[in-house]
Amino acid sequence: MSEFLERLDHELASRRVRRSLRRRIALEYADHLACDPDAEARLGDPAELAGAFAAELAADDARRVARNAFMALALAALALTTGQLTIAPAGGYPGYNSGLSTALAVPAILTILIAPQIALVAGSLAALRALRTRSSRRLPDAEVALIRRRSAVAIGAGLATCAAMMLYATDHTHQMAGWWVALQLGLAVAAALALTMVAVQARRARHTIGAVPGPSGGIVDDVPPLALVVANPRAACVAAVLLAGTAGAVLGSVAERSAIEGLERGTFEAIVVGVCLAVTLRISAGAASRGRAPHC
Amino acid sequence: MDPRGHLDGMLLAIAADGPVHGYAAAQALRQRSGGVFDLPEGTIYPALHRLERAGLLQSGWSTASGRRRRVYRLTARGRRAVTSARGDWRRFSAAVEAVMA
Repeated sequence: MSEFLERLDHELASRRVRRSLRRRIALEYADHLACDPDAEARLGDPAELAGAFAAELAADDARRVARNAFMALALAALALTTGQLTIAPAGGYPGYNSGLSTALAVPAILTILIAPQIALVAGSLAALRALRTRSSRRLPDAEVALIRRRSAVAIGAGLATCAAMMLYATDHTHQMAGWWVALQLGLAVAAALALTMVAVQARRARHTIGAVPGPSGGIVDDVPPLALVVANPRAACVAAVLLAGTAGAVLGSVAERSAIEGLERGTFEAIVVGVCLAVTLRISAGAASRGRAPHC
Repeated sequence: MDPRGHLDGMLLAIAADGPVHGYAAAQALRQRSGGVFDLPEGTIYPALHRLERAGLLQSGWSTASGRRRRVYRLTARGRRAVTSARGDWRRFSAAVEAVMA
């Protein structure tokens, strides 16, 4: 192996480029050198070439995972909405304590209430950043890490949602119509498989180091109107709680065909959103007091 | 002269004439430019990989003189991109010519 190929492989390995890709790159340059042994001097600096491969690969992989995660989450959202919209004709909400075990139902219900919201926010932010940066060949390492982190949170929350849907359907096998249990399980399994495939893809792509300096930017860069929220966090949280509560009450009333049920669900939704936002504010305040902005 | 800002479009134009491997692409770039473009030949490969990830090229292994060789072909999307890039370049160069003349 020539000195050039050895150095190139070393530089690619130090940037944690996948072994299979390193082998392909080495074969391509080896063919180049075999065509013209004097070309070695004209190929360029192995460190710069490895840097170009790694930086573009890291950015492209992060964006591809974010896009695929968003599509897989759309499937999970379809499973969740279909399950909720068809629950009335399938026998209505069975309650949390009428299934096989309350110990199964309670975590399933809590997860169904909380995890989809986390998945929606994290998945949307990851996909939005991927979309915004689509014309940039290279991204700062911090920005790649941000997209990877958002995607990972979205995938994790999506998988938790799917698991909770399966658990809930299994727990209420005897209370709900058989077609609903089969539909809910089928859709949840399909979404979980899609998310697992993206998780595998994300795991394979998570190591490459682009070694590109620069800041990651924050959530306000993705959604500029959020600058208002950052300026008035408490007012924005109150507005979000009211909005979530109202939406929950209206949708709950329609789904349950009962204003009282709707009101109960709206209240619960408002409490959940309020708690989540309070925790977020607390974390943000803690990060700010430690002198660093939260990166989400 | 450093043609890196237009490297992707030129590589697609070269691939539009038929399947090409990295060394042949570097030679075509040098010959067609009359030796004017002087970029490190190794930079061709990150560009070819980038164009493949973007779906504009597809590649596969072939064998030449007992060696494995990666050959790149234009995809249908790549063909549309070449047509678009040529149009953009003609407009751009005509505008620059008009300003510089």
